[in-house]
Amino acid sequence: MSKIDSTLATLHALDRGEAQSCPSYASGAAACLLATLVYLAVMLSVPLQQLSRLVWMAAYPIVWSSLAGVGYGRLFVQSLYALPFIVFVGIFNPVFDTAPAFSLGGVVVSQGWVSFLSILLRGMLSVQAVLLLLRVCGFARICHTLRSWHVPAVFVAQLMLVYRYLGVLLEELRTMSRARMARAYGQRHLSLSLWGAMAGQLFLRSVERAGRVHRAMLARGFNGTMPCYVDAAGAGPDATAGRAVWVAGWAAVFGVLRFAPLDSLFRYNIIS
Amino acid sequence: MHMSDGLISTPVAAVAAAGAAVLIAVAAAKVKKSTRSDLVPLTGVLGAFVFAAQMVNFAIPGTGSSGHIIGGVLLAAFLGPWAAFLALTAVLVIQCLVFADGGLLALGCNILNMAATSCLVAYPLVFRPVAGRSPSAPRIMAASVAACVVALELGALLVSAETELSGVTALSTARFLMLMTVIHLAIGMCEGLATGVVLGFVHRTRPALLYTATEEGEEPARKVHWRAVAVIALAAIVVGGGLSLAASSSPDGLEWSIEKITGSTEVVPQSAVAAAAGSLQEATAAMPDYNSTLAGIIGAAMVMLTLWGVCAMISTRSRKVKQM
Repeated sequence: MSKIDSTLATLHALDRGEAQSCPSYASGAAACLLATLVYLAVMLSVPLQQLSRLVWMAAYPIVWSSLAGVGYGRLFVQSLYALPFIVFVGIFNPVFDTAPAFSLGGVVVSQGWVSFLSILLRGMLSVQAVLLLLRVCGFARICHTLRSWHVPAVFVAQLMLVYRYLGVLLEELRTMSRARMARAYGQRHLSLSLWGAMAGQLFLRSVERAGRVHRAMLARGFNGTMPCYVDAAGAGPDATAGRAVWVAGWAAVFGVLRFAPLDSLFRYNIIS
Repeated sequence: MHMSDGLISTPVAAVAAAGAAVLIAVAAAKVKKSTRSDLVPLTGVLGAFVFAAQMVNFAIPGTGSSGHIIGGVLLAAFLGPWAAFLALTAVLVIQCLVFADGGLLALGCNILNMAATSCLVAYPLVFRPVAGRSPSAPRIMAASVAACVVALELGALLVSAETELSGVTALSTARFLMLMTVIHLAIGMCEGLATGVVLGFVHRTRPALLYTATEEGEEPARKVHWRAVAVIALAAIVVGGGLSLAASSSPDGLEWSIEKITGSTEVVPQSAVAAAAGSLQEATAAMPDYNSTLAGIIGAAMVMLTLWGVCAMISTRSRKVKQM
């Protein structure tokens, strides 16, 4: 599958909304977004040398994905795609930090390798949390939450427009790519000048489309702000209580995972 | 250049997010005040255009490999700096949320590293002065390359500073900075060539679509030329000086790691029962030189695997119940 096709497939899967029957969906996007931000802040505050504590932090995406009915295995695989840049930065730790951390079958593992694995794990866990957030809440509900948090309306409108027209322009780009491939006789890469002409054509089509969009928006009473999705799950006192329980419950769990002496369960009594 | 959450600390993320939030608020106010009524939909659609253009790779001359654009200077050349900043920020948010490209807490860093450097620094201070008021194709190409190189180098500088301040790499500041700037010099050249080619195409076919400063009532480009050079030079001195001070005052990788290890060597059994269990374990274990760090990691991993298994079983069962 080409990059364009896989991106379109991701967008279509999100639009279908996979997790609308889970408890976190009912508690509202604001609660999910807040819980995710708290999780990321707590998880990133774990020192790099405490790899075991970071492993405990995986409880959040594992449990939440189960509640949402999203397979954790798939999330795990998707989070692997985020690794290349993290590896590029972290790979120097084993080279420069050679102090011993532990030995494994006679082979000494350095502190650098522990911190390197911690960096990878931090990156993967954060990606998993964000992917889950979007799967559960959907992009429109997150935009609505941002608007209710007083993020400027113009910026929220940009988010919604870019998201909406991404799919449309990718369809257009796929048509252009297929036309080129049909005439390229197996030549995969575009030369820079040919790429420029293709991107330029796409730009001209985009501008024409923007003009049509603008006229259509004006015809429907556009006054500079985009109407937002109304979060039916987030209205009423029950929903407010549900949001508070969701965020406070997870915050308590994060506190336990971050500060409780969980390592001592294994450190002192099982293996010393 | 997308930074992951794994590479930053919470304080650095918070400061960067605050800076990015201020810039977004200013950009939103500027776009709202714009005299162009079509700016909001145009910005949204061109944001999507840059995203789509990133999906098509071009061959990098002389290397046999391929790459794609980032698009900050390209967007600014069509929309102006503030609207382009807003569009590229929206693209970064969607890349983070939908495609897991860059972390959510690192979003502020990524906005500063990529959107602010290209749209708010490189475009007004480099592209416009070099391109001039009535640009020719060669000037557009020269301006694109210069602006993209400056944008990418500034971005690399910020990435290095943010990573070092977060304390996640054992690489010394000077080495990390050198590595990042050399790599991003090459990336900046390619980005500049690609940007120049697209802008040249639009300049030939629809020159009116290129952004001109005067349409928003801004200062003409030539007047900011020397001020721009002075600002860049001052920023380079301040940032370079600050980083070199940080590099000289901080311990190097080995010293840092020794400092870390001497602060965490308190593995002592807490009770007689634990000590007895420990000695029994040592006598019977297949790998007796496992120590507490490894044991903690393995224990936590086993619990998480068990949790995953239990959760998978529960969700499978609940799905079956729903289907019935």
